[in-house]
Amino acid sequence: MTTSLSTVINLLAKALDVPEASITGQTELESLGADSLTVIELIFDLEEKFNIQIGDERPNLVVVQDIADHIDSYLVNLKAAS
Amino acid sequence: MSGRRVVITGLGAVSSLGIGARHNFQQTLNGHSGIGMLELPGNHQRAGLPAAQIRMPLPEVIRTAEQAQFDRNALLGWIAASEALQQSGAMADGDAADSGVFWGTGMGGASTVEAGYVDLFVENKGRVRPMSVVAGMNNAAAAQIALRCQFRGTVNNYSSACVSSAQAIGEAYRHIHHGYAERVLAGGSEALLTYGVVSAWDALRVLAGAEAGQAQRACRPFAQDRAGLVLGEASAAVMLESLESAQRRGATILAELAGYGASNDATHITKPDADGQARAMAMALRHAGLDGADIGYINAHGAGTAAGDLAESQSIRKALGAAADKVQVSSTKSMHGHTLGAAGALEFVMTVQALASGSLPPTAFLEQPDPQCDLDFIPLKARHGQSMLAAMSNSFAFGGSNVSLIVRQFN
Repeated sequence: MTTSLSTVINLLAKALDVPEASITGQTELESLGADSLTVIELIFDLEEKFNIQIGDERPNLVVVQDIADHIDSYLVNLKAAS
Repeated sequence: MSGRRVVITGLGAVSSLGIGARHNFQQTLNGHSGIGMLELPGNHQRAGLPAAQIRMPLPEVIRTAEQAQFDRNALLGWIAASEALQQSGAMADGDAADSGVFWGTGMGGASTVEAGYVDLFVENKGRVRPMSVVAGMNNAAAAQIALRCQFRGTVNNYSSACVSSAQAIGEAYRHIHHGYAERVLAGGSEALLTYGVVSAWDALRVLAGAEAGQAQRACRPFAQDRAGLVLGEASAAVMLESLESAQRRGATILAELAGYGASNDATHITKPDADGQARAMAMALRHAGLDGADIGYINAHGAGTAAGDLAESQSIRKALGAAADKVQVSSTKSMHGHTLGAAGALEFVMTVQALASGSLPPTAFLEQPDPQCDLDFIPLKARHGQSMLAAMSNSFAFGGSNVSLIVRQFN
């Protein structure tokens, strides 16, 4: 189950100035022209959006879904904690 | 001076006068001022201050995905540098390990640094944007330019207040002259119109004030009714190249950079010194192998402070001797303001075009000449048909640094 994917796609589309429709969960970040700095910016914006703090953990992020899964794991923990 | 000849094959500029080196120069010939009342982004304003702000939309020279990495300083830098690069046609030349970038800035990514402080101390966010270092560092503009040009030679940065970019051009000249590179994109950029930076300058009591309707004529160098300096934002760039490289490529040579002089007053942290300035001009003349009488036009530092205008009037006399009675001098700061780290490059770009075209920009708004400043300051109206062998551009800075650059007709 994914809660953050649509937000990830929305922010990524804005950051890279591409149509949202061109991005799916399986789109490779590299093919979008999103390098490591773009991903750091994106995660910062997602942290603000969902009011979470991911810290320094940086798993291997290859496709868009990987970012959403990473964020979701924090959202699940947040829910469990509340 | 033995060494290789250095020529100019491209110019670029963006300032409150507009976008493009030629357009900027044309605006100065028309006596057009880019100065208006300062309008800062956000709620904090510093009322009553004029500034030379770039208000027109900027060309889209970077991708949206790159914006977070670009402070306005680097963005202006790449706009000017890419224009100079394009004019030179140097991209076609192949191996760029022999090409470098020498860049000047006074305050680098000032707005990025200030935005970080706002996040930390005003918004209490406890953190700053991830690209704060990348966008804010003082070598960001030079690095982005080198990256985009694929210039893989020496990339140097100069931060010496108001001579930063003049120094970058001068040192780039030496770099090519002594055989360390075939070509260098040299220049500088400054984008410091933020609440914090403007407040700091205002506290020093050197800024001109203005009534709303009078803002465009707020900067009046060499005039008795001068009111102080007017801050501006800008970037300018020149493609410098060894003569051999330019000829090999079949590039159009705009002028020769023939002399560079640099000195420090070592007398006072802010007060200008005519002796120090004259030493820089004399060194530039010596390197160029020219006499004072060979200089037909000087683009003065002329920031519009009483102490600065007087010192420069004296130092030009000291350096040029009797030839000072004939030399034509103007301060284009009267129109594009004092663009600090970009000033030397912007005014050098004007000087090259003045030499090449024979049209000399005026000192705008010079209706009441200061009798203590007794040179020909080209008041109010441009002069055309002024052919000459060589022209000089002066830049002087807080901290006592002085730089003079001499361009001459190429033949």
